[in-house]
Amino acid sequence: MVIEKPVPEFLDWIGKASLNWLIAVGMLLAIFVVISFIFLMLRYGPGKVMPTFAINFRRGLEDLFQLSWKRVFAIACLIVKESIRKKVIIVCVIFLILLMFAGWFLPQSSPDPGRLYLSFVLSATTYLVLLLALFLSSLSLPTDFKNKTIFTIVTKPVRASEIVLGRILGLTATGTIILVIMAIAGYLFVSTSLSHTHKVMYNEDISAVANVNPDNHDPSIVVAKGATQLTNGHRHEIEEYADGTIIVSEVNNHTHPIRKTVNGDDVRYEVGTEQGTIQAKVPIYGKIKFRDANEFQKEKGINVGEEWEYRSYIAGATPEAVIWTFDNLKSEQFPDGLPIEMTISVFRTTMGNIEQTIMGSLLVRNPQTGLTAETNIFNSEKYTAKALLISRQIDKSKVQNRPTQLKQVGDEASFHQQNVAFEPKESYDLFEDFVVDGKLEIWLQCIDRNQYFGAAEFDLYIRSSDANIFANFLKGYLGIWQQMIILISFGVLFSTFLSGPVAMISTFGIMIAAFCKQLFLQIAYMQALGGGPVEAFNRLVSHENMMTELPKNFATSLVKFFDMIASGFLSVIGLAIPSFTDYNIYMDSIASGYNIPFNTILVHGITTLAYVIPLFIAGYLILKNREVAK
Amino acid sequence: MGTESNIVVETKNLTKIYRDFWGRQKVRALKALDLEIRQGEVFGLLGPNGSGKTTTIKLLLGLLFPTSGEVNILGKPASDVSKNERIGYLPEESYLYRFLNAEETLDFYGRLFNLSGAVRRQRVAQLISMVGLESAKKRQLKEYSKGMTRRIGLAQALINDPDLILLDEPTSGLDPIGTRNMKDLILELKKQGKTVVMSSHLLADVQDVCDRIGILYQGELKELGRVDDLLKLGEETEYRIKGLSESAKEKISKIIAEDHCELVFSGNPTTSLEELFLNIIAESEEHPGKRVRGGGND
Repeated sequence: MVIEKPVPEFLDWIGKASLNWLIAVGMLLAIFVVISFIFLMLRYGPGKVMPTFAINFRRGLEDLFQLSWKRVFAIACLIVKESIRKKVIIVCVIFLILLMFAGWFLPQSSPDPGRLYLSFVLSATTYLVLLLALFLSSLSLPTDFKNKTIFTIVTKPVRASEIVLGRILGLTATGTIILVIMAIAGYLFVSTSLSHTHKVMYNEDISAVANVNPDNHDPSIVVAKGATQLTNGHRHEIEEYADGTIIVSEVNNHTHPIRKTVNGDDVRYEVGTEQGTIQAKVPIYGKIKFRDANEFQKEKGINVGEEWEYRSYIAGATPEAVIWTFDNLKSEQFPDGLPIEMTISVFRTTMGNIEQTIMGSLLVRNPQTGLTAETNIFNSEKYTAKALLISRQIDKSKVQNRPTQLKQVGDEASFHQQNVAFEPKESYDLFEDFVVDGKLEIWLQCIDRNQYFGAAEFDLYIRSSDANIFANFLKGYLGIWQQMIILISFGVLFSTFLSGPVAMISTFGIMIAAFCKQLFLQIAYMQALGGGPVEAFNRLVSHENMMTELPKNFATSLVKFFDMIASGFLSVIGLAIPSFTDYNIYMDSIASGYNIPFNTILVHGITTLAYVIPLFIAGYLILKNREVAK
Repeated sequence: MGTESNIVVETKNLTKIYRDFWGRQKVRALKALDLEIRQGEVFGLLGPNGSGKTTTIKLLLGLLFPTSGEVNILGKPASDVSKNERIGYLPEESYLYRFLNAEETLDFYGRLFNLSGAVRRQRVAQLISMVGLESAKKRQLKEYSKGMTRRIGLAQALINDPDLILLDEPTSGLDPIGTRNMKDLILELKKQGKTVVMSSHLLADVQDVCDRIGILYQGELKELGRVDDLLKLGEETEYRIKGLSESAKEKISKIIAEDHCELVFSGNPTTSLEELFLNIIAESEEHPGKRVRGGGND
C-alpha cells in the first residue's frame, strides 16, 4: 500500500497540533472580540462598551460551560425522531438497491475482488452518508426558522449553545444509525458476494501422476495433479504430494482449504470456502535509510528519473542498500522468525530477457556490531507482493565474518574495523545475535548488475498476527463517521445564519474543498499551473497557454496584484478547511487488506473534535446574536 | 408589599425599527412604548393589524432585539434566557413540530424545562385533559385541525406552570366554543394569581377578560387604562327590569319627562350572538335530535 502522507504518531503529533489549533482558534476569537467591541461602541457609545462586553462575556461563558445536557439530549432526540419520521432511513433503501445491482457490474473474476468490493461498498457509503449529512445539517435549523417552530424553543429556557450542540449531536446520532445499517448490509454483501467454493472431480479435474511408487513418502514427489472447476471466472491448480499435503494455488488473492477422503475406490476432494480475499494484516513498519556506493548512510537513494519521488532506488551489484530499522521486536512474538512482506519497484537499465526476473537479497544486520547475514535470496518483478520468512535459526554459512559498514559522515566511531573478524559460532539465532534491545536492521540489496530496486518506507514490513476482519471493517466506518461529523458541524454552523439552500451550497463547497484540499492549497499558494485564480481566468478568456509567460505590462501587474490578495485570502481558508483525503487511509487500508491502527483513529478522532469545537462555538455565537423572529 | 415589586412587565421607551439589508429604515413598528403590567392582571394589547402588538410581544420575549429602549420582564432583561423558566408563550399560530403527537409535544417542551419524568407525565396528562385532546393524543399534529393545534399550542404554553403568560391572538382560528373556553381559561389563570398579557384585534374578547388594555395604532400607544373606566358612559344610566307592567312603563316615562332628561333607548334588550350560539349548543347537547325553533319549551 502506498502511504504518501503517513498518519503521525499520536504523542509526536499532539503537542504541535494542539498549539497550532490554539493559535488558530485564539486568532478567530480575537477577531470576534474586536468586531463585537466595534459593534458595541457604535451601539452603546464608548462609555458603556466595557460593562456591556463584560456582561455578555460572562453570559457567553455560562452558555458554553453551564449548558444543560438534559436539554441538549432532548433536542438531539427530537432531531433523531424528526429524521426517522420524515423517512430519512430511505437512504438505506437506496444503498440496498445499489448493492443489489452492484453485483452485476463488479466482476467477481477480478484479480483482486476483495479490494474491488470493499472499495465500492466503502466509497458508496461515504458519498451517500456525506450527502445525507449535508442535506440534513444545512436544512434542519432553517426549516425550524421557516416553520417558526424555533419560536417555541427559544421562548423556553433553552440556551443557543444547547440548540446548536443538540442539533450536531442529534444529526450525528441519525447519521450513526444509518451508518450502522449500511455497515452491516455492506459487510454481508461483500462476504456473501466473495464467498465461493470450487468443485473437484477425481479422475476428471485431478488425476494421479503415473509411475509413482506408492511406498515412497518423499514430500517433494507429486502424486496427483490437476485444477479445480471454474467458479467466479477462475480455477486453482492443485498438487498433492507424497506425504499427503495438498497445495491449492493462490489465484485472485485467495486460496481454499482442501480435504481428501478415500473410501475404498471412492476418492473425493472437498474444497472449502475461500481464504485471504479480505484480510486485516498488521504490519510493523521500520524507519528507512539508504547506503550509497561508498558505504555511507544517506537519506535518499538514487533518482532514476521518475517524476514521482515516493520511491528511491539502489543499484545492483554495488554496496548500495535500502535499510529498514525496526524497533521493539520481541522474540516471544515471533517464535518461528520474522515474516516479511514487501512490494518493491524494479527499474531495468538493460532489458535482457524480459521474462527473467531480477534477483535480490535480504540481509539482517546487528545495528550495534555490524554482524550481518544474508538470509533470503529472491526474484522480483515490478510491484509484485512477496512474502518471505527470515527464520530464527540462521546457518553459519550465511553469516559474514566481518562487520558490514554503514558510515556516517563526520562520525568516525561508526566506521567499524574492517579487519576485525567476529568469533565464529556454530549456530546463530536471529534474536540472540542480530537483535539488540529490540532493534534490528533489514537490508535490501539488488544482486543483478545494471538493474535497480526502488523502495519506500512502507514497502517492506514485518507481518504480525492478523486482526479481526469484521472489527477492521467497522473501523473503516469510523473514518466515514468522523468525516460525517465534521460536515454536520459545518452544515449546522452555516444554517445558523444562512437560509436552507444557501447553507446547503456552502456546506457542499466545504465538502468539495475538503475532498481536494491539496489542489485548493496549490491554488492558494500559487503553485498550480496557470497562476492564481485571476491569472487563470485571464488565461482562460484570452485562450492563453498555461505555460506561456504573460507580457510585462500594467495589466499583468494588476492581475498579479489581485492574485496576491486572493492568495492570502485563500491560504487562510485553505488551512482552515478539513482534508477528507487524509481520511482515505481508512478505505485504502481496508481495501488493501491492512488493519487500521488505533493511532490513526485517535489522531483523526482528535482532528475531528478540533473542528467540531470551534464550529460549535461559532454557531452558538451567531445564533445567540441573531434575531430569531426576523 | 410595594407596587414596584409587583411589576411583572416593564418597558421603557421601547422602540423597534425594521431595517432592510442595507440598514435603511423600512418600518417603525413600535415607537417609544412605556408599559407597566402588574402581577395578577389580565392585560390586553389591542389594535388593528400591523399596529405593533405582535412586535411588542416578541420584544418582551427576546425574539426581537429592541432598536432602543429597555425591557424588564420578571425582573430580568429580555435577553436573559432564564426568564423563560416562568413564562408561557402562545404564538399567533401554533408553531409546533408536526411529526410529533400531542403527548410527545408536551413531553418535549417539558424536557426543555428540565422537568423530571414523573412531573412531566402528570402535567402532560393534566394539560391534555384540560384542552380536551385525550382522544387525539396519539395522533401526529399534522393530522390536527386548526382548533386542535391551537389547543395543543396553549397546553405547551402552560407546561411549566408559568407565572406570566403571553398570548398572541389567543382566539384566532377558534370556533365560538373554543373562544369561550379560551376566555374561561384566561379568567381561571387570573384567579390563580397569574399575569396574562394578550394581544387581539377582536374587541369582544378583550372586553370580556381584560382588566386593563392598551390600544396601539401604527406603533404608538394611544390609550391605556382599566377596561371598566374606559368604557363607562358616565352620563347614562341603565336599568334592566324583568316583568315590568305597561302602567309602570308609562309612569317611568312621565318621571323622565318631569326630570327634563333624555330617553336614549327603551325596549327589549337583545342577547349577543355569542350567548345565543352557546345556548343553542348547550341545549343540543342536553336534548339531542332536531331542534325546534325556540326549542326546550315544548
